Amino acid sequence: MIHSVAHPQTRALHRAHVKRRRRTWFIMTGVVGAALFLWASGYFGDVIWPALGDAILRTTYRLLVAYGIALLLGVSIALLVGWSPLADLFFPLFDILQNIPSFALFPFFIYFFGSTDWMIILFAVSSIIWPILFAVLTAIKSAHKDLSDAATIFGARGVKRVYRYLAPLSFPAMLTGSVVGIAIGWEAVIGSEIISNISGFGTFIKGVDISGVSPSAIAGALGILVIVFVINRLVWAPLLTESAKRYAE
Amino acid sequence: MPSDPHAMPLILSRVSAAFADEADGVLALKDVSFSVPAGSFTSIIGPSGAGKSTLMRVILGLMPHESGTVVRNFSRSAMVFQNYALFPWLTALENVAFGLRMQGAGRTERERAAREKLKEVGLERFESHYPAALSGGQRQRVGLARALAVSPDLLIMDEPFSNLDTITAEALKADLLRIWRAYGMTILMVNHLIPDAIELSDQIIVMGAHPGHIENIVSIDLPRPRDTRSPKFFMQIDALTEVVRSIS
Repeated sequence: MIHSVAHPQTRALHRAHVKRRRRTWFIMTGVVGAALFLWASGYFGDVIWPALGDAILRTTYRLLVAYGIALLLGVSIALLVGWSPLADLFFPLFDILQNIPSFALFPFFIYFFGSTDWMIILFAVSSIIWPILFAVLTAIKSAHKDLSDAATIFGARGVKRVYRYLAPLSFPAMLTGSVVGIAIGWEAVIGSEIISNISGFGTFIKGVDISGVSPSAIAGALGILVIVFVINRLVWAPLLTESAKRYAE
Repeated sequence: MPSDPHAMPLILSRVSAAFADEADGVLALKDVSFSVPAGSFTSIIGPSGAGKSTLMRVILGLMPHESGTVVRNFSRSAMVFQNYALFPWLTALENVAFGLRMQGAGRTERERAAREKLKEVGLERFESHYPAALSGGQRQRVGLARALAVSPDLLIMDEPFSNLDTITAEALKADLLRIWRAYGMTILMVNHLIPDAIELSDQIIVMGAHPGHIENIVSIDLPRPRDTRSPKFFMQIDALTEVVRSIS
């Protein structure tokens, strides 16, 4: 958009972003180059690629489903609570809930859902949901009173208030909450795969020789790195850019 | 002043209100009574702590009051904020159209109306700009256009000029007077400058603090358009300054 780039502040922001993006690509090119070099030199000869691919796909699938559910649930709950006058009552409750270490509840998830895909997904949901829920709720609660008053005065009342005011207001928070949530989600999914032996990336790295850094372990780490990079570049970076442009004060 | 209540869009009678966030009953407003004649321009001046913002919020029904009566004979109110309070995720045009959208107006209808209002405040070329890309003066014009778009018969303005530089504020003030004459709505404005209040207002409500109360209500009968350099104007400034000085 011409007008936003023409604005000096936005232009500086844009430049910084492009610079950062270049640096990320630079690092990524280095990583891929090193990986190709290792591969060409036969370092990865013993790696069972189909097993690794399968493991990463399973783990990524669980993570994405869990993230989808957590996003829907977390944002809905935060919007509802933020919309109601009871928000202040719910805050301490959520605070206690999110402070329980997720893995402490792992036995209950196994007990209720068995050793299934859904057990891992729901367990991951219970970790991912908190950063999203808190980010959105905090954004709603910390919005300038004038902005909230303006929404009321100009008619954003009732249900309309949720999707015409609260939802767009908390969009940047939803983004940052998601970035943190997904990072936690990887750990939750991989961790629960390791504990429950349900096959995925967790069982893959458990299966390889974890006492040393084996070619399989390195291949696995590279695989995850590529996925994380792709999600960041394709999803978060454009959304964060758009959000920074629109929500800049 | 006329006594017909229909000619009074707003009547407050012994209104008291507590601070929204204090439970121990500290009053923000105590026994505030005044009325605002239809089509008039009323300014409220007073030190911080006089409960001016609380008063606006009570009038708009955004917070309850403890006692007293607020008679609202207006059909639609709108507000212009000191900090603009524009929705950062909406363009200038979408901000102006917000109220109409909430009323269920269709896209073509509300955008046509919003364009008209943006033009009226001189921002027709900025309709696709986000607030972040606008200057303070431009933002306040969008804020004014957003308020005008819902066709209010009572326009409440909370220190609309105080974040703007003098030149920008003067230009906006002239536009506001033009718009007020064209629309004939009632305006209630919190003001912090005595000359501004005298230039704009038919009546000036002087408030005192702790708790917020009315010290004095001054009528300004100078003919319009007002000559801000006439001896009579300066005499009014003198008189009002004296009133303000006596309360601080």
